[in-house]
Amino acid sequence: MLRLQFYGLLRLMLSGKEALDLPWQEGDTVGRILEKFQAVETIPLTHKLISEQGILHAGTIILLNRRNILHLDKLDTPVRDGDVLALFPPGAGG
Amino acid sequence: MGNGWHGKLLRVNLNEKSCTTEALNMDWAAAYIGGRGLATKYLTEEVDPATDALGIDNKLIFATGPLTGTYGAANGRYMVVTKSPLTGTVACSNSGGYFPCELKYSGFDMIIVEGKAATPLYLKIHNQQAELVDAGHLWGKTTDETEDLIRAEFHGDAKVACIGPAGENQVRFACIINDKHRAAGRSGVGTVMGSKNLKAIAVRGTGGVTAASPTGFREAARETLKMLRQHPVTGEGLPALGTAILVNIINQSGALPTNNSQFGTFDKAEDISGERLVQTYLKRNKGCMGCVIACGRVTKLTDARFTGKGEGPEYETLWSLGATCGISDMAAIVKANYLCDEYGMDTITIGSTVACAMELFQRGLITEAEVGMPLNFGDSDAMVKLVEMTGKGEGFGKKIGLGSYRLADSYGVPELSMSVKKQEFPAYDGRAIQGMGLEYATSNRGACHVRGYLVSPEILGLPEKLDPQAIEGKAAWAKAFQDVTALVDSAGVCLFTTFSIGVPQVTKLLNAITGSTCSDDQMMVAGDRIWNMERLFNLKAGISPAQDTLPKRILSEPLPDGPMKGVVSRLPEMLPDYYSVRGWDVQGIPTTEKLQTLGLA
Repeated sequence: MLRLQFYGLLRLMLSGKEALDLPWQEGDTVGRILEKFQAVETIPLTHKLISEQGILHAGTIILLNRRNILHLDKLDTPVRDGDVLALFPPGAGG
Repeated sequence: MGNGWHGKLLRVNLNEKSCTTEALNMDWAAAYIGGRGLATKYLTEEVDPATDALGIDNKLIFATGPLTGTYGAANGRYMVVTKSPLTGTVACSNSGGYFPCELKYSGFDMIIVEGKAATPLYLKIHNQQAELVDAGHLWGKTTDETEDLIRAEFHGDAKVACIGPAGENQVRFACIINDKHRAAGRSGVGTVMGSKNLKAIAVRGTGGVTAASPTGFREAARETLKMLRQHPVTGEGLPALGTAILVNIINQSGALPTNNSQFGTFDKAEDISGERLVQTYLKRNKGCMGCVIACGRVTKLTDARFTGKGEGPEYETLWSLGATCGISDMAAIVKANYLCDEYGMDTITIGSTVACAMELFQRGLITEAEVGMPLNFGDSDAMVKLVEMTGKGEGFGKKIGLGSYRLADSYGVPELSMSVKKQEFPAYDGRAIQGMGLEYATSNRGACHVRGYLVSPEILGLPEKLDPQAIEGKAAWAKAFQDVTALVDSAGVCLFTTFSIGVPQVTKLLNAITGSTCSDDQMMVAGDRIWNMERLFNLKAGISPAQDTLPKRILSEPLPDGPMKGVVSRLPEMLPDYYSVRGWDVQGIPTTEKLQTLGLA
């Protein structure tokens, strides 16, 4: 299994749900996991993270085991059984 | 046809109880943009940088920018500029709300307060009619009480900026609160106001602001509005979750200073997060005047232990009164935030100072008898009690009121103060985010996040993602962010717009309002000019470049936890690059050639 954690707008859109476990398969990538996530939800969600063209929005943060995938292979980053993906739609402050 | 300015400043002499109108120096307005830059120019011309910050010769300047009070972005900002009693550096604290626009609509661009009143006074302004009146009945009142009383006796629509008991009691980090919940927060600008026996400024203004190019400004404003609304940060993230959205982001990134920076992650961060605030005490969001972002948090406490309502807490406060004190009690943080607004205190410095005191207690350097209670990390009741004692100037609160550096120094361990130039860090670990460490070390008002917010590229990925542990190029990024911030502050625009708009849009707005024809590069030079002017003030004030450093903990104690485990700040490698990029000599002194290019020599 692989754990997805929801933050910011995603959590509000999911009525407060903080996390979801999804089955993992050999060859899965971050992008493939997002597709699986969208497939099990009833409302559009991943458009808050990526564009229709499959490009990460400016300001989207996806951490794989607390490492930003922008410093890995972005949506092509391979994932493994037991990994944790933290999903943050664009947000900021200061 | 106007140019964003009324061309008038109000000079208030408290010694003589006089108010006089002067022409604004328009040459300076052109060179230093307005707000922070223009007010600092006046300060450098009129105040000896070596003067006592709490002495009669220091001045307190309330300044708008040329865009303050206009529509089209988040243009409701004003700045308070003075010499800081906390740091000894130049101070510039920025606030929004409704007071800044009302000041502009009164017909004054700026107020310079000088001298010291023999008895408490407040300043009343009604459309260019200004007078000083007795404030004896307001002395000792909280900021919300003060505002209510002034509006009842002066004008029901007046906007008020005032100090609370903390400013009167000379807490070193007292702020100036406007519109009850908005703070010119850092560096003790409220302490200076208190030292002058000036309780408040109340303004009623019914004028407006006119643009040099009304059609050009309308077009630029519409574009800006569209950009702010369409960007996911300013159009969605900030309105829904406010700045508090950062708690989980920064914690997951391993950069949330915890237990006085002994750790970089807080295992109970979820309990003090923006998401949790939405589920508990948030009632609605709220904007400053004319702002389409509306990041403010209107909250009400429904906890059995605490009551109250107000605005906030912001991210920085959730951290300062939370994680860095090891506290996960959201109700206590919200309550302490309200108390800080009512007494008029900077939430960042007081939280960090309580955290410092907690570490002193942890190490046995201060005792339960001295504090009047145990002071363990995580003790939310003690934190709330200390905040109230500080505001009132009672017991151990008097020591907290000194700020963390003077507190720790009094016990012989100044290195336990997580500060630069005696001003405390905000909510980002300078080891986990290398550029922020450089920014803290070089900020002209001591450690600060709103002098060059490198968190934006290093963590948030805006405008592009940088590796937070890389140091190559960070000096140039720091300079660019510092200069842009100086420009945006001075214009009177909220810094949060820069998540969505860049320098070209700010340039477009400024040119349309003032009639100038500056390029983006010329605007950036103005930011550089302001930064160097502030640096020169600090050097003359005796703030040596040796103070461009970080606490020993950040430089030599590796982070013990989280994804950034094992790292320390690499400031010694970045600082020479920074001085070079700035055009300063190896000692950190601006060169004559550099100052000549900026018109400062």
